Amino acid sequence: MTDQISAATGASDVTSQTPAIELIGLTKKFGDTTVVDHLSLDIRRGEFFSLLGPSGCGKTTTLRMIAGFSDATEGRILLGGQDVTSVQPHKRNVNTVFQSYALFDHLDVEGNVGFGLKRKGLDKSEISRRVNDMLELVDLGGRKSAKPRELSGGQKQRVALARALVNRPEVLLLDEPLAALDLKLRHRMQVELKEIQREVGITFVFVTHDQDEALTLSDRIAIMNNGVIEQCGTPEDVYERPKTVFAAGFIGTSNLMTGTYSAGAVTVAPGLRVELPGHPELIDGSTASIAIRPEKIWIADFEPDMVRVHGTVAATVYHGATTQYLVNISPEIQLTVVEQNLVRSHHDDRWSDGDSVEIGWKPEHVVVIG
Amino acid sequence: MASETVPTTGRRRSVEGKPTFAVAFTALFLFVLYVPIVVVVLFSFNSKKSLSVFGGFSTRWYQDFFNDEGLLSSLRASLFISTVTMLCSIVLGTMLALALERVTSRPARITGTVALIPLVTPEIVTGVAALLFFTGLGMKLSLTTVIIAEITFSISYVAVIVRGRLSSMSDEVEEAARDLGCTPFQALRLVVLPTILPALIAAGLLIFALVFDDFILAFFTTGIDPQPLSVRIYSEIRMTISPAINAVGTCMLLVSVLLISLSLVVPRLLGRKDSSLDLISGG
Repeated sequence: MTDQISAATGASDVTSQTPAIELIGLTKKFGDTTVVDHLSLDIRRGEFFSLLGPSGCGKTTTLRMIAGFSDATEGRILLGGQDVTSVQPHKRNVNTVFQSYALFDHLDVEGNVGFGLKRKGLDKSEISRRVNDMLELVDLGGRKSAKPRELSGGQKQRVALARALVNRPEVLLLDEPLAALDLKLRHRMQVELKEIQREVGITFVFVTHDQDEALTLSDRIAIMNNGVIEQCGTPEDVYERPKTVFAAGFIGTSNLMTGTYSAGAVTVAPGLRVELPGHPELIDGSTASIAIRPEKIWIADFEPDMVRVHGTVAATVYHGATTQYLVNISPEIQLTVVEQNLVRSHHDDRWSDGDSVEIGWKPEHVVVIG
Repeated sequence: MASETVPTTGRRRSVEGKPTFAVAFTALFLFVLYVPIVVVVLFSFNSKKSLSVFGGFSTRWYQDFFNDEGLLSSLRASLFISTVTMLCSIVLGTMLALALERVTSRPARITGTVALIPLVTPEIVTGVAALLFFTGLGMKLSLTTVIIAEITFSISYVAVIVRGRLSSMSDEVEEAARDLGCTPFQALRLVVLPTILPALIAAGLLIFALVFDDFILAFFTTGIDPQPLSVRIYSEIRMTISPAINAVGTCMLLVSVLLISLSLVVPRLLGRKDSSLDLISGG
């Protein structure tokens, strides 16, 4: 099974330098509204690539343009080096897993999965062999003759995935495929999706608004907002080193402070200077935004060289493995601090609302944003 | 009895917990609904000419009916009208439904509403309008004019039923077909039409039944010979009341029952769990 699919994709290794997808100045306008704005992006072969962003950021429209369901207003789309900008959807070597699964009600599981191969005119024995292999891969070998209406949400999702993958497309497009599943099933499908992607080696382009999903699954993530890419990089890149205020705010919780830089510190509120050592590139008098992840702020047991700030605990939220403190360091600025329940595992050991505390962080954990 | 009273509702219920009043009322309802029909069927086998006294079993009225060339030609005319109307209105109504589902512009939405007006227009208005239209054009009244009138009236029904099914089908289904290698026409033929097939069957059977026993439109738009069966029965009854009419009625009933049975069976033969009856009743 694995051999067959890697054999199919292996042929493209000759041109492995060519990206699977190149988007060049891709723009989509609906009337006066620009949904996707001069977007340029290279997606590598065999990569699990996520388009992450809030609803209305243009991620689904981008995916629909790659699939061919939506025409680009401007710009070009290249699939494996070939310009497909004006090619009809049925002639593009991509397949899509739809959010609603979009299974064909009048066909059984086998008929659904074999639909694309039948359109390609493959002979019956070949179709049935590939359909069987694919159904084994998605763990649905025993449900060949079931109708879509007889399947659970998770099973429908697998049929939709199998129906797309069985065609061995150059690129598989996935439009929030896990959004309709409940939390537990979603987590299981995330693991399975990643395993399947590794096994078949096909380029996956995954659209999601769920940052956890994107971080867990992706080789690279593009964070989209208002039709443009805010940042593109590995999960670690976008989490640890956000480049824009939006990227810092959208992924995880960010403690974001903005102020004027001078002499190794940022004035984030009147009379409140936060030290910012080790940034010779900053010019005195310039505006700087700094972000620190909640888990990187300490609330006691400081190490030498840490930047420390005084504050008051505004709220305490117990999460089991961790405790989250909201600490006001000025009337306007509230920082989120997350601490493992390791040393202070008993309630009485933890701080409570109104306590005066000192918090601190290592200078290298501070991210300075433009 | 008191022990069987459900305290929470305070309503009187039988031992099985079913409300006795509802059961009795349902029985009365079914009785009123079906007894007249049973009487017609029963008297179609009457050996006497009487319409009130049953004198024994015979099939003489059926023989009368099947020997009456006038009635038979009317039956053939009605079957012809119903079949042609059904086929034409299914095609046109489905096209209308597909267009209205897809286009979201203001004129399209207005058209969608206008297309529903025949459902609520009094049929007599439609009939008079059709008659004036045909005579205004100088068309000779015939089966053709009946068919044209019935089609205009039937398209709305088809469009409503088909739209109901289409709106429960995600747009992504058609896109999925395109994604898997279908041209737009193949997507329609291989995915959209099979998906809405139960609705098409339901609409077709409904139109056939409606048109087959339609009287008003047929009365206004028919020529002299042959007349549709409903019009023929009306004119026969005005002259002589023959028990043969009971035989004709029973045959028409048989056709209806057959159609309903088909609407149940055909989707199952196609491998569906839902039948077209579910679609009509909204189940």
